[in-house]
Formats: sequence, C-alpha cells, structure tokens
Amino acid sequence: MNNLNKKVKDTITKPHKKISLKASLSLAASALLGTSAVTAPVSHAKPADEWQFDSAFLVYSEVDRVSATEAIIAGTKTFANDEVLNLKLTVDVLTGASANGAIAQPMAQTFTRPSGNGQYVTPAGETPLDDTFKDTRVQVNGQWAQPLSDNLTGSVGGHLSKEYDYLSLGANGNLAYDFNRNNSTISMGLSYFQDTFTPEGGIPKPLSSMLIGDSSSPDWDTEFAKTRIGDSDDKSTADILVGFTQVINRRMITAFNYSYSMVDGYLTDPFKVISVLNFDGIAQDHIYENRPDSRVKQSTFMQTKYHFDESLLNSVADVSYRYMWDDWGITSHTIDTRFTLPVGAASYIEPHIRYYQQSAADFFQPYVIGEQAKTAFVSADYRIGEMTAVTVGAKYGVVLNGGNELSFRIEYYRQMPTDAGFVDPNGLNGLDIYPVVEAVIAQVSYSF
Amino acid sequence: MKPLNVLLNKLSFTKSLQLHRPKFKLTLLAVVIANLSACSNLGVEPWERDLLAKKEMALTSSPIDAALDDHIYFSKEASSGGKSFGGGGCGCN
Amino acid sequence: MKNKRTVKVSKIKDGYSVNFNAMASPCEVLIQTQDKRVAERVAHCVSAEVWRIEDKYSRYDSLSLCSEINNSDGKKVDIDEETYLLLNFAEQCYQLSDGLFDITSGVLRQVWSFDSVSGECQHFPQVSEVNKRLCLVDWNRVLYDLHSITLPKNMELDFGGIGKEYAVDRCILLVKELTDKPTLVNLGGDLAVTAPRDNNHSWHVAIEHPDCDAFGQRQDMIVALKHGALATSGDARRFLIKEGIRYGHVLNAKTGWPIIHAPRSITTVAPQCIQAGILATLALLQGKQAEQFLTEQEITFWARR
Repeated sequence: MNNLNKKVKDTITKPHKKISLKASLSLAASALLGTSAVTAPVSHAKPADEWQFDSAFLVYSEVDRVSATEAIIAGTKTFANDEVLNLKLTVDVLTGASANGAIAQPMAQTFTRPSGNGQYVTPAGETPLDDTFKDTRVQVNGQWAQPLSDNLTGSVGGHLSKEYDYLSLGANGNLAYDFNRNNSTISMGLSYFQDTFTPEGGIPKPLSSMLIGDSSSPDWDTEFAKTRIGDSDDKSTADILVGFTQVINRRMITAFNYSYSMVDGYLTDPFKVISVLNFDGIAQDHIYENRPDSRVKQSTFMQTKYHFDESLLNSVADVSYRYMWDDWGITSHTIDTRFTLPVGAASYIEPHIRYYQQSAADFFQPYVIGEQAKTAFVSADYRIGEMTAVTVGAKYGVVLNGGNELSFRIEYYRQMPTDAGFVDPNGLNGLDIYPVVEAVIAQVSYSF
Repeated sequence: MKPLNVLLNKLSFTKSLQLHRPKFKLTLLAVVIANLSACSNLGVEPWERDLLAKKEMALTSSPIDAALDDHIYFSKEASSGGKSFGGGGCGCN
Repeated sequence: MKNKRTVKVSKIKDGYSVNFNAMASPCEVLIQTQDKRVAERVAHCVSAEVWRIEDKYSRYDSLSLCSEINNSDGKKVDIDEETYLLLNFAEQCYQLSDGLFDITSGVLRQVWSFDSVSGECQHFPQVSEVNKRLCLVDWNRVLYDLHSITLPKNMELDFGGIGKEYAVDRCILLVKELTDKPTLVNLGGDLAVTAPRDNNHSWHVAIEHPDCDAFGQRQDMIVALKHGALATSGDARRFLIKEGIRYGHVLNAKTGWPIIHAPRSITTVAPQCIQAGILATLALLQGKQAEQFLTEQEITFWARR
C-alpha cells in the first residue's frame, strides 16, 4: 500500500466515522476539485411543496337562448408519500331562455311561468322559450388519492353543488391496479349522488294541463296549487365505472372504459310541457311532461393517444369513441378528436372536432295529437329527442416565464334535432318543429 | 354560412347508423378482451417513458376543460360520462 | 458506437438552454442571460469538458485512459494529476463505505451486463460465475502514486460511479470563470448551480418519479435549489426483476451482487455534485437502511421506494 493511501486512512478514525462522513466527503471533494474546503459552497435546497393551481373562466352563449358563465379554480398538492389532494371550486351563472317543450304555432301563444307568477307570450312562428332561467350555482369538490401498496392506488372524493332550487351531494371511490411494469392499469370506481330538487312553483302534476290565465286574479293561487303535487322531490344516481389503460409503445397509449349507471327518483323536467294539437296542428292545450322514475344507462368508451415524430412536427393525436345505451330507448355515439400541434418551444395549437348523435327516447314526442291514447310517459324535450350535434373549435396555449400556462379556447357547438319519424299535421307547414341550436363557447385558462 | 348549414345538416345520417345492438355490444367486448390477453407483450421499459411522460400524452391532458365540457354536454344532451363518472351533480338536466 | 456530437443552443424565456448528449445521458445547461455569445461560450466550454472527461474515463471507449489502464495487463501506466486526484477520491470513498464502494468492481460487468443503452440485464449469473470475478475486486491491490498506476492483471477500473458527478463539478468551476450569470448544469439528472437565479429566486428542479400514478399523471417532485448540487442514484433506468425481486444496477463490491431492498431512487443534496452522488450511492448500498443512513448523516435527501 502506498504512503499516501496510508496517510489518508489514518486521518479517518473509525469510532467517529459515522459523524464525520459528511465532513470527510467535503474534504475529499475539495481535494479532488482543488477548491478550498473553507470557502466551499453551501447547498440550499428544499422541496417546493407549493400548490399547483388551475383556473378557468368560460362563457357559453346560445344564439337567442341560454347563456352561462362559469369559473373554476382547482388546487392540487402532492404529499411526501405520493398522496394527492385536489380541491375545486366552481361557480356558474345561468341566464337567458330555454325551450319549454311546446312547438311553434302560426299564432302567438301564452304560457304561465313555472313559478305561477305571471305569463309570457311567444310570437307567432317562433319556438316557445321560457326566459325565467336565471340561476347561480356553487359547487365544491374534493378528491384524495393515495398509494395503498406497490401497485395499488385508492382514491375517494366528495361533491356538493347548490343552486337556489337544487342541492346535490355526492361521494366516489376508486381503486386502480398497475401491472406489467406499469404498462397496464385496471381500475374500478363507484359513485353515488343524492339530489334534491325544489323547483319554483313546486312539482307539477304529470300530464295535467298548464293553467293559463291571469296570475293577479284572486283565485289564481288556489287554482294553480291544484296543478301541483308537492314542493320538492329527489333523485339518486349510482354509477360503476370499470377502466383499463394500456401503453402500446413509446408513442401510444389506449384506454377502455365501461360504465353502468342507475338513476332513480324524480327524473321529469318540471318546467317542460308538450303541445296537445288537434288534427290540423293547432295547439289546444299544453300538458306537463312525465318521465319514468328510473333510468339505467350503460356506456363503453375507448380512447387512443399517439405522439408523432419530427416528420409530423411532434404532434399528439387524441381520438375517442363512446357508445351509450339506456332503458329509455336512447342510444348515442360520440366521436371526439383533438390534435395538439407544438408551435415553437413554448406554445401549442389544438384543433378539436366532436361529433355526437343520439336517437330519441321511446316516450319522446315533439307534440301530442288530440285523441291519441295518452301514454304514461311523454316528453317533448328535444334533449332526449333524436339529434346530431357537432362541435368545432381550437385551443391555443402558451407557457409563460416561470412555467405558468395560459390558454384560450373557442368552440362552435351546433345541435341539429331531427325528425324521428313523426308525420306533421298540415297546420304545422312552414313552421320549424326541430329548430337548430347554435352556441359559442369561449374560455380562458391559467395554471400557476 | 348557407353551404355550411347544408353540409352540417347532411351529417345527420341517422338511419345508416342503426347498429344491431346485441351484436355490436358483443364485438366491443371481444375487442376489449382480445386486447387484455395480448397485453403482456405490449408496453415500454421505464427508461422509454420520455414521450409518455409529457403532459399532452396524459389521457386527460386538461381536467379543467374536460370538467367544463362534461357540464355543457350533460346539460344539453342525453348522454353523460363514459370517460369519468356521469352522475348527478346539478339541476341542468 | 459514438453518437454524433452536436451542441444545440436555444433561446428560452429569460435565458438560453444548451443541449447535448454525453455519458449516455441527455445533458442540459441553463444560463440566465440575454447575451447569446455568453451562452455559446458556456455551451462550447461545458460540452467540450464533459466529452473530454468521457473520452478519458469511459470504460466503454477503447481509446480512453481507463481502457488503457484496464488493458495494461499488470504493467505500470502513466497518469496525470487529474487521474491521481480521482484515484485519491476513490480511495476515500472505499474507506468511508467500508469497502462497499470500490471502483475495481467494474470487472463484475462481465457477469452483470446491464446494457448501457436499453438498461436491460441480459443474463442473471450463477453464484460461481460471480465468485470467480469477485476475487478480482479489491481496491487494496491497486498501486498508484502521483505519476503512475499499476493495476494487477485481469482487474478493471470503473469510473462510472463518480464520472458524471465529477464532470458536473468541473463544469461549474469552468462556468464560474467564464461568467457570473446564474447557470445550472444538468448531466442526466446529476446537477449543480453556480448561483441562485436573478433576484435571489430558486432554480426549480423536477426529480423524476420512477413511475406515473394510477391516473397516468407524472408525480415528479419539485425542489427549489439556490446553491449546491443534486444527484440521483437509483434503478429507474437500469434494473432486473427476477422472481419478483427488483435488483438495482448498483453492485455490492464485497458480495458481487446487486443491492436488494434499496429504495427505487435516492436524490441527495450537497455543496458539490460529487458529494451528493457518493452519498446517494452509499445510501443505496445500505439497502433497507438507506433512509436511516442519510438521516443519521443529517443529509437532505428524498427517497422513493
């Protein structure tokens, strides 16, 4: 053993070895790098356990109809053992008019507001819209995820949503298992929501006629009360979601989901009516709709994401398809595609197209004709009728100094209700029974 | 705007999309199971996760956008969820 | 198999980013300056220095000094002061780790061949194969002085455990001579900074998590670094799983086998990268006691199991 080795060895006395390891290494490093041990640099590092925030402000505006403004702020924090907490606050404000289910007529029509306090008139040839929808809603969500073992992660969460006439409470739980070197994940989740609805004006008696008259007359209140069966009602929703994700290769990941959902309770829309027409297509009456008190929905969902190479500018494609079917006779297809194109080092542009198509519910009818046998359930709400919808939009995002991200999104949404095979009476000629609904969505997001 | 209207309206080829339901569901299920069994050959090593680790390759790269969109479509259409829970939540439908 | 050596200098928000490949890792230098010439000078200086160290000490390069020593067949080989200092440092580490850290353990790669590119362990060896090589692992038999080294026949040196961290520290020294602009040098996860960012802001460094979480999201941890260095040692990149046990690529020089029950990755903080690197490796060599070892030493660290 050479002299220098021996010398160095003697300076490190074994009993104090543990304590002086840091110091010994310091000396050794200084010797190696030729820096002076006295003026050796210090180290200063700590985990930046800040919260990661995402915020967004969105405006949804239909042409001549409903407008909504929504703001979200969410915070995520990762803890020492990889637990993740996510808290989210959402506020939305709804204004504008919504179709009340009745159809357009060659003459002006009068309807009573859902609250019973006042009437409104729809001009001839126009689709009746009720503009009493002004509402503010506040929602809070919390979600906690943590590893339960090497390959198992669990998550639980809660939800609370409150509008002046609606309260929703929900909870969810999820287990995810990774295998195959974390290339495959199988997961199962359950969720349960309990909602209470206290609509203005109370719950209308299903299939009863809408009372049209003068709200200020003395016996209006008693007459109106006769068309009501209660103040509030509830609804519960239980969902099971089974998911499977698989990494295909370095550039591609896929996911498959199956979900089963059971909704029970008050599923009718208390603000919607159906026009009762005579054989000439002229409305004689308007009755409140009625939907079954249970609905079972199932869906299968699949998604693929692919990262292209330089030849396609390192872009990412996202394609997904969902097929839904339920026991109301509705089936739907949703195809959603996004293409993220990096622009320079710090920004990207992401065009988006969504195609949606649904069939009508068994009990959907755009109107009821006179003496036809009254079915137990009927609704003219176009949202459960046959329709095709297309969304076209783009998003632009940029990473700012400091790593915060700002993005802008604009989309055009067009709903095209279609004729589900009803033969319209002559009196409806020239009237738009299936009006198109167009909306523009604009959003600004900021992550910090 | 008119030609666009015509084009978009032509997209509603509802009749031709009538899929025979039970057969379609079975096919979907078969596709999923076939994929599951072929799984052990697929995938990457931990050091090959460079691209997959990018934010834009996450299955839901923007949870906020997804939540906002889900709320809109839940209120305006008859379907909900699929990718995540679709239940309850608000008085919009 | 030498990759084409190119250096890319690109403008990023509030500075420049230099990228190149060396030592089988992506290398990055971040300089907080608006002056492109400074960035380019730093880029050339750092990349040249890292490649110089790689060309000199890489055991995979047949033309390197390391290979010359390893093929010396027991004959004396001339060395310079830099190599002498590195050998001294290796000696210190050998002593401080009680023989667990030994740069003559390179010979074990003949039986534990973790491919330098894919990281996969090609072949799980038999006990007899390992033992045959083990008698060739013995730092005490290495004779060296200021001018030369004599490595016994069939023994090999492996600078892999200290090479990258040493390169980081050398680059920091050189950058400090070139500019006083805040600079971060990151060689494949082993990094150090010359100074805090402007206005005494920290550099934010992401410590990569070995996996993604159940939702497919990365769960990297962010560390705020103002001075000093960070080194990560672990098996995220190179490991073998046999019968459900995960074997890292860090070999116990006394037994010849990889360490088991060690954390998946350890990141340590120290004034210089080479210290951080050795501390992380020494901790991993403790296996199950890794975290305890570092806590007793009062070292700032993050371990992932």
